Amino acid sequence: MDNKLLSKIHNLLDQVVFTCREDGLFEAQSIIPDWLVFHTGKHLVRGAYYLTEVFPYLDCFIEDAREHWSRQEMNPLVSEIWVETEADGREVAFQVKVMSIDNQQVMLLKRLGSSYREQSQMLQHIRESMLTQEMLEAELNVRTQQIRQREEDIALKLISLTSYRDEETGSHVRRIGLYAAKVAEAFGWSISEVNDIRVAAPMHDIGKVAIPDNVLLKAGALNDEEFSTMKKHTLIGYKMLAGSGIPVLEMAATIARSHHERWDGSGYPDGLKGSQIPLAARITAVVDIYDALVHKRVYKAAMAEQEALSLMRSMSGQHLDPEVFSVFMELLPLMRAIRQTVYEEEETEPTYSDPRL
Amino acid sequence: MIQKKICMLGSFSVGKTSLVKRYVSSLFDEKYHTTIGVKIDKKQVSVEGQELTLMLWDIAGEDAFFTIRPAHLRGMAGAVIVIDGTRESSFDVALSLYQMLTGLPDGQVPVCFALNKADLTDQWIIDDEKMQVLEKTGCEIVETSALENRGVDEVFQSLAGQILCMKQAV
Repeated sequence: MDNKLLSKIHNLLDQVVFTCREDGLFEAQSIIPDWLVFHTGKHLVRGAYYLTEVFPYLDCFIEDAREHWSRQEMNPLVSEIWVETEADGREVAFQVKVMSIDNQQVMLLKRLGSSYREQSQMLQHIRESMLTQEMLEAELNVRTQQIRQREEDIALKLISLTSYRDEETGSHVRRIGLYAAKVAEAFGWSISEVNDIRVAAPMHDIGKVAIPDNVLLKAGALNDEEFSTMKKHTLIGYKMLAGSGIPVLEMAATIARSHHERWDGSGYPDGLKGSQIPLAARITAVVDIYDALVHKRVYKAAMAEQEALSLMRSMSGQHLDPEVFSVFMELLPLMRAIRQTVYEEEETEPTYSDPRL
Repeated sequence: MIQKKICMLGSFSVGKTSLVKRYVSSLFDEKYHTTIGVKIDKKQVSVEGQELTLMLWDIAGEDAFFTIRPAHLRGMAGAVIVIDGTRESSFDVALSLYQMLTGLPDGQVPVCFALNKADLTDQWIIDDEKMQVLEKTGCEIVETSALENRGVDEVFQSLAGQILCMKQAV
């Protein structure tokens, strides 16, 4: 096959073969087609071309090409595609391949036609689909957050019921949720689960709405029969909250049922022991006791934090899950920050007798 | 005349090509055309009396299928990282690109963040927290809209100024 025939083939394939001279100029080894003349124009010097000036992309690629040529590799090194604007304003894509043949530094410049358009269209479709998917996901997130907000609003309405029947303050229930969320976060729960316990934990005593006043509001100690009635608030709360299929309410049901279980199995209503007790309930038990001890109620004064923690430490391993208590203690600065932030006027702003605690 | 290479970086469909087209040709096309590979445009600017030619390398956006070839960044004097203010993913890609630039062996080049699609601020997801993250980089942040021709000249002019400052400092 002679050079003339090869040159015609290259021309038909919209490609030109160059060799790189020692002076860095490129000498055409096949016919220079019209489409290239528009670009090369003034860059023709003594029968060779400043291709790196014609195409600024090549000015960047030439470093890789020289390294490839220096290794005398016959396997072609393929450049990225780059786009040039032609005389009529159309955008046309180019690509080069460089290789070494018979000690010659060869560069094959190809003007991409239909293959580029096909690739471009395919990528366009893929990216449009990706954009649609992103848009749908964003919309789904917004809707999910709206649903969650409604769930939280319903939960807060339910929580407000309990304040009609006992002395728990609105601040207490808010703090319980915030403390519990921090502990759950430390246990590595997902964001969704952390959000659930923040709303669910404050509902732990919701069953108390069904306990008669003479028992719920009794000033003195409860007798056995009254205590037996009082204990029913766990199962009542569970029945009120369970079965909706809404994750936050299902978690609230679990907590309502099990927050009086004890680590050593001596709690109620099911006498669960250790890890049989759902973790959400174990967390709620710890934070509820802490908050109840360190704040005053109509029937008791606030306990100094150091004293409260000492009492809780003695309960750890018997009443309270020791691991949850330990995590709680690690998070104590955060718990204090919550106390500082969330309190009502009738509660005194917390102070700490021992700054080390 | 001094020539400086500026790379346009960012996720796909954030508006890199539109910003360049608006800046170089004062044109805007509503339709999204994906970029394959690289497109290089030139623009002459004057910064504090000094003329220079900006070589604007519009590099195909990053996504699951394409990542930027480090070779394309060779000789870069500055970069514009474009974020689509309405798309969270483009913010994450922008940060990872910024991290990549700070790790380049040639040393750090001036970077501007273009918060693009400023005509759609009602749909933006760029909140205070995200702004703080961007501000912490110390880079210039410019709100841009190729559609409304807002902030476009500013982002390139600012970058050109930083490039010249850096050159003078060297």
